[in-house]
Amino acid sequence: MSDTIVKIENLVKRYKELTALDHLNIEIREGEVFGLLGPNGSGKTTAINCLLSLLNYDKGNIEVFGKKMTPTSYDIKQQIGVIMQNVAVLDELTVWENINFFCGLYIKEKKKRKQYVQEAVEFTGLEDFVKFYPKKLSGGLLRRLNIACGIAHKPKLIILDEPTVAVDPQSRNRILEGIQELNHNGATIIYTSHYMEEVEQICTRIAIIDKGKNIAIGTKDELKKMIHNTETITIEIVELDSGTLRKIKSLEHVYNAVFNEDHLTIKCSGGVHNLIDVLAILKEDGVSFGRVYSELPTLNDVFLEITGKEMRDTEGQ
Amino acid sequence: MFLHNLKYEFLNNIRQKDVIFWVMCFPIILGTFFYIGFGKLYEKEEIFSEIHIAVTFVKEDDIFSSVIGKMEAADESPFEFRYADTDEAEEMLEKGDVSGIITVDDEISLTVMSSGMEQSVIKSFLDQYKSQKQIISDISANDPSKYTEAINALYAEIDAIENNSLTDGNMNYYDTYFMNLITMAALFGMVTGVFSATNNQGNLSAIGARKCLSPNNRFITMTSSLTAAFITQLCSVIIATTFVLFVLKIDMGGNIPMIYLSGAIGAFAGISIGFFIGSAGRMSVAVKDAIATSISMFCCFLSGLMVGNMKPLIEEKCPVINRINPAALISDLFYCLTIYDNYARYLEKAVTLLIISAIFITGGFLLTRRKTYENL
Repeated sequence: MSDTIVKIENLVKRYKELTALDHLNIEIREGEVFGLLGPNGSGKTTAINCLLSLLNYDKGNIEVFGKKMTPTSYDIKQQIGVIMQNVAVLDELTVWENINFFCGLYIKEKKKRKQYVQEAVEFTGLEDFVKFYPKKLSGGLLRRLNIACGIAHKPKLIILDEPTVAVDPQSRNRILEGIQELNHNGATIIYTSHYMEEVEQICTRIAIIDKGKNIAIGTKDELKKMIHNTETITIEIVELDSGTLRKIKSLEHVYNAVFNEDHLTIKCSGGVHNLIDVLAILKEDGVSFGRVYSELPTLNDVFLEITGKEMRDTEGQ
Repeated sequence: MFLHNLKYEFLNNIRQKDVIFWVMCFPIILGTFFYIGFGKLYEKEEIFSEIHIAVTFVKEDDIFSSVIGKMEAADESPFEFRYADTDEAEEMLEKGDVSGIITVDDEISLTVMSSGMEQSVIKSFLDQYKSQKQIISDISANDPSKYTEAINALYAEIDAIENNSLTDGNMNYYDTYFMNLITMAALFGMVTGVFSATNNQGNLSAIGARKCLSPNNRFITMTSSLTAAFITQLCSVIIATTFVLFVLKIDMGGNIPMIYLSGAIGAFAGISIGFFIGSAGRMSVAVKDAIATSISMFCCFLSGLMVGNMKPLIEEKCPVINRINPAALISDLFYCLTIYDNYARYLEKAVTLLIISAIFITGGFLLTRRKTYENL
């Protein structure tokens, strides 16, 4: 079994009346890409800031690399790279100077630092922009510079807090590929996001957080197995009588069927031929239909089933 | 780490266009406007720089009459004498038409309404006259051929009193505006100090958060940032001072190194106050910047940047403000160098400024000493 890199036990953080983190427990192992998934305001960033000893907390224990994390744990901090949600670069330094400056806060030796900076520039694809000032960079390039500043010193643990917010699809893909490459190169990654697709794409293990609590943790397959739903079938139908709908609902693996605005949505639990069975009933009753979709459960379904609300519904709250 | 942080913070500071404009270009532009604006006033001031004195003869005094006659005949006499009887002289004094009344009786006496530089010059003139009178009287009795020569010598000494204004200092009223200009350049360091503080606090800026997460002692990173801010401000003060001294050729006394040192002390005070403002409270950087700018301008206003006689007015009404207003103290440093031959008053002002700076810097460090935050 891999070594535990981060251990968060019973973490409680309160802002006056609001409990931002409510006995949060998380264990992250070496070599993982660990996703912290949750809607805005769920406590992801607060958890990261407590983990980094930026924020004080009311209760709990945090260990990183097997040692208690404190603001003066310089030996631990030396091995951590952080890419914050807000771009943190100095406006009047060029791309190269920015990376060199932040790398220099960790790496004293000039020759080694120069090599690391060059590697970070190449890794983030900023070779053509090294003499540019941040204000001349596009949003995507700026995000890449932000990442380069956070990883240039080759940390063992990299924490990325919503690094793809307001980034174009091309840059987003490049960032996600880069994170996986960093992981392949040996870094353990903590990735926070409210984009489920991103988390599903790159994370090997995921914790779903809501209202400061860890409501589910596991691989994406493990999380999906936790819920009742295994398949969602959606069919475009102009007209559907109640008798046909009753027949569909009576199928063995169907636990919910709703006809709403020209769409029939059927939720199934288990079974392997659910779509064929549904289509057979429609054919038998002479119901004409358009496009048909069959989807496996998503992390949103997991969130929906556990919390009773859509993750997207809670954004911005 | 200290030098690494210092280098890049300085580069970042010095490249900021708004810093370049407000901290470096603005004092030069304002100085140029002052110079152009005051050009005519300087000439006017020189024409009307004579000191008006009412002279009342209760008893004749030939020697005194000869001396003031000699002065009146000179092309550039420091004094303009107005002969009047006692009542007329008092009326002129009350109206402010004359700075003093010299009454010639058995003894020569001086009457003034208030104390000031002009009154001091008249008093020195009389003191000089009294000390030389006996010599002239003896020469007149024993060797009348040398009488004129003695009167000339006395006149030369009295003339020197006015030109040198009691000390070797320069007393031009308008030069104080340029002293206040350098003071303003120094106090703009408050803005640089604010950025220095906020760029090191995790709860105020993303840069601050990133620095807090690095494996470095916070005190060292903050000290290096402060040093970078000070060097930036020092550059600005050096440029402003050099412009005033060598381009506009404003006379601020001959002690050039001490003038630059005074600017450096001022810049340090500005940075310190800005550092404290930046460290206090959770207001945004923009708000703190606005507060620092407002405070620096208000301090400069109180020290006479906008209204020349503001400082004497405050000295009369509420002198304690002049003792603690950093702008007044900085401009006083320049004033002391220009006016006084010794450094006693200069040291007093400089030490006060350094104590104020130390208090603000210590306060700033105390406010930011915490290593974790309640909120981000």
